[in-house]
Amino acid sequence: MTQGARPAPPKKSAVPYLAVAAVIAFTVFAARQVGFSLSQIVNNFQTARDFIGRFFPPDWAWAKENVPGPMIETIQIAIIAAIIGCSVALPIAFWASKLTANNRWVYYIDKWFLNVIRTIPDIFWAMLFVTGIGFGAFAGVLALIMFSLSIMGKLLSETIDSADPGPLEAAKATGAGHTQAVQASVLPQVMPNYVAYALYIFELDIRASTVLGIVGAGGIGRVLEAQRAFFRFDRIMAIVIVIFVIVFLIEQVSVFVRRRLV
Amino acid sequence: MSEVFRDTEAPLGRPEAPRGTRWIRWTVVVVLVVPSIWAASGLGISMQRILEAPADMWRIIRPMLRPDFSYNQVFERTLPKVMESLYIAWIGTIVGALFSFLLSFAAAKNLSPRWLTFLVRNLFNAIRAFPELLLAFIFLPIFGLGAWTGTLAIGLHSIGTLGKLSSEVIEGIDPGPLEAIHSAGGRWPSVMRFGVLPQVLPTIVAYWLYRFEINLRVSAFLGVIGAGGVGAELVSQLRFRNFPAAGTVLLVTICVVLIIDTVSSMIRRRIITGKAGEEGPTELFDEPAAVGVL
Repeated sequence: MTQGARPAPPKKSAVPYLAVAAVIAFTVFAARQVGFSLSQIVNNFQTARDFIGRFFPPDWAWAKENVPGPMIETIQIAIIAAIIGCSVALPIAFWASKLTANNRWVYYIDKWFLNVIRTIPDIFWAMLFVTGIGFGAFAGVLALIMFSLSIMGKLLSETIDSADPGPLEAAKATGAGHTQAVQASVLPQVMPNYVAYALYIFELDIRASTVLGIVGAGGIGRVLEAQRAFFRFDRIMAIVIVIFVIVFLIEQVSVFVRRRLV
Repeated sequence: MSEVFRDTEAPLGRPEAPRGTRWIRWTVVVVLVVPSIWAASGLGISMQRILEAPADMWRIIRPMLRPDFSYNQVFERTLPKVMESLYIAWIGTIVGALFSFLLSFAAAKNLSPRWLTFLVRNLFNAIRAFPELLLAFIFLPIFGLGAWTGTLAIGLHSIGTLGKLSSEVIEGIDPGPLEAIHSAGGRWPSVMRFGVLPQVLPTIVAYWLYRFEINLRVSAFLGVIGAGGVGAELVSQLRFRNFPAAGTVLLVTICVVLIIDTVSSMIRRRIITGKAGEEGPTELFDEPAAVGVL
C-alpha cells in the first residue's frame, strides 16, 4: 500500500437505512396511536397554565396533620419488603447462576422463574395481592417483596456468574460440600455487591411504595388517591413535595453509602 | 539473606481473625434489626393474616391458571391494550431519548462549564425522584385520561434516567480524538460530530433500548390510573373478579414483555459487541452508576 493513500471507505449496506426507515415508520405510527398532535399540545399548555394555579399554594396546614402517619407507613413497608425480599433472594440468586447452582435443573427452573416474575410490574403485584388478601399495608409489603426479589435475583445472579471460580474449586478440593464451598468462597466475593444492590433496592422500594397506595396497598398513595377524588390539588401538591424531599434524601444517603462500599 | 527468610516464614497456627469483624457484625445487626422491628410493629400485620395469606392468594391464582382464551378476550380486549402499552413505551422512550441526548452534553463535566453541569445534573436528579405513576397522577387532570398522559409521564421520567446515564458515558470518553480534531482546525460542531458521537453512540443507544424495556413494564401499569395501556383492563377484570380473564391479561402481558426483552437484548448485544449471538457484556449494566437508575 502506498504511503498517504486513503483507506477504502467501509462497504455500503442497505440494512442500516432500512432499519432506520422501519424505526421511523413505527415511531410515526405509534405517535398517532398515543394521540400525539401538535395542536393538542398547544391546547394542553393552555389548560395546564390555567390548571397549575390550582396546585398552589400547597395546603401545609392540612399536610401537617394528615401526611406524617401514612408517610411513615410508606417507609415501613419499604424497609420490611427490602429486608425480606433481599434475604429470600440470596439463595435464589445462587441457584440462578451456573457457577453455584446445585444442578442443571435447579438452574433452569430458577432462571425461568426469575425471568417471569421480572416481567410483572410492582403495581400489578400490588393489585393481585390487594384482590387476594384485601386492602392495606400487608398487600403492599408482599408486592414489594416480589419486586425486590425479582431485581435482586437478576442483579446478584449476574454478579455471581462473573465471580472468580478459583476459590470455589479450592474449597471443593478441601472436601467441602457444595453449600459449604459456595458459602466460603463465592459468598464473600459478591457480598459488597449484595449490600450495594440491597441499598439500591431499598431506594426503589421507597419510590414504589409511595404510589402503591393508589391501588389500595397502603402508604401515602392512599391519601393521594383520596385527595384526587376530592379535586384537592393543593393538598396533592403538598404530598408530592413531601414525597420528593424524602425520596431525594434517602437516595442521597444510599448513593453515598454505595459509593463507599464498591 | 537470612532476614528475608525470617520474614517470609509462615506463622504457626491459625491466622488471627481480622480486626473489626465484630464491630461490623454489631453494626449490621443494629442496622437491620432495629428498623425491621420498628417497621413491623408500625404496620401491625397480625400473625393470623400472614398465615391465611397463602390460602387467600391461591383462591384467586387458581382460576387465573385457567385463562380465558376466547377470541373476544384475547384479540379484542387484551392484545390492543398491550399494543397500546407498547406504543406508549416507544414514544415515551423516543421523547426521553431526544431530550436527554441534547441535555446530556450540557451535563457532562468535560464538555460544559461547571455551573451548567450542576444545573442540568440536579434537574435530572429531581426528575428521577418522581416515579412515573406519580407523574401520570399529576398529569392526569391536565392532559386528561388516555395514552398521551402516560406517554408524557414516561417521557419525562426517561429524560432524568437516560440523561444521567448518557452524561456519564460522555464523561468517560477518550479526550485524544477531541484534541486531534481541535488541532486540525475543527470547531465545536465537528468536535462533537467526529470526536464525541462515535465514542458514545453505541453505549447510549444500548441504554435507550434498555430504557424501552423498562418503559414497557411501566406503561403496562400506568393504565391502572387511566393513563392508557393494559393496566386498565387488568383493573377492570380484577374488580369484577373475572379471574380467568385477568389470567389472560397477565399471560399476554408477560409473553409480549418477554419477547420484547429478548429482541431488545439481542440488538443491544449486537450494538455493543458487534455480534448478535454471543453472551453479551451484561457488566455494562452492573456498574453501580448504571444500576442506580435502572
